[in-house]
Amino acid sequence: MDATPRGLKILTWITFGLFALASYAVLVYAPREAVMGDVQRVFYFHVAAGWVGALAFLVAVIAGVVYLVTKNRTWDTVGLSSIEIGVVFTFINIVTGSVWARPIWNTWWTWDPRLVTATVMELVYIAYLMLRQGIDDPDRRARFGAVYAIIGFLSVPLTFLSIRIFRTIHPVVIGSTDPGAEGSFDMTAKMLQAFMFSLITFTFIYVTLLWHRIQLQHQADRVGQEKARLLAD
Amino acid sequence: MFVQNAPADTTSYMLIGFALIFGTIGLYVLSLYVRSRNLKKDLAVLAEVEPRQED
Repeated sequence: MDATPRGLKILTWITFGLFALASYAVLVYAPREAVMGDVQRVFYFHVAAGWVGALAFLVAVIAGVVYLVTKNRTWDTVGLSSIEIGVVFTFINIVTGSVWARPIWNTWWTWDPRLVTATVMELVYIAYLMLRQGIDDPDRRARFGAVYAIIGFLSVPLTFLSIRIFRTIHPVVIGSTDPGAEGSFDMTAKMLQAFMFSLITFTFIYVTLLWHRIQLQHQADRVGQEKARLLAD
Repeated sequence: MFVQNAPADTTSYMLIGFALIFGTIGLYVLSLYVRSRNLKKDLAVLAEVEPRQED
């Protein structure tokens, strides 16, 4: 039976510590925003979760390209694992945005370009996970996954750019002067520190979860191979 | 009179937001643990079946 690699154990503890520190930074260290109040604190993890989603889908593209070139199934595992984590964190991004929007925009949901493109992106990748289940042949499944990850990634820059190219009420916190954005604010030094620390912490969470998820897939592959071997005997 | 001079009271929304963040990450970690435990059980069962087949 595979034991958890020592490096993964150390990384898990480091990530756990960083997450505790980041939680302290956003809940205690960062000052309360002058207009929105405490709900603004959700912003730090909201953006960090969105960042992890985009990073995870980008890693899946790279894994997809490398798989198509090398035909090494490990890269299919990396792509699948990355997309699964991306779906979880994009979900966090969308629901925390909705919770923030309720007191600030006075609604849980509005058909704003950013909200729509983010939801479409999430659905594109949920479809990836569902469609994979329907393909039995591992090589075909991996090929399909690689191509889908590459094409599906079009939804990521579209989501990122939606608040910059369309008329929207979603704030662009960094580098924005759009007066139409509702809920934008200027970050103080402490807010910026908490924000950057959250981004770093969530990147660590992503790497840690990805490693765990890849380990899990290796376990699943071994069970599949053992079953096939027993049936063949 | 109509000028807002204190932050809005949005603490309850913050609590909902963080409950969703911690809850979702927690559920995902739990799902990884449960799936791993089930696979280990499967491997143990397969290891048990193998010697019986050899008998």
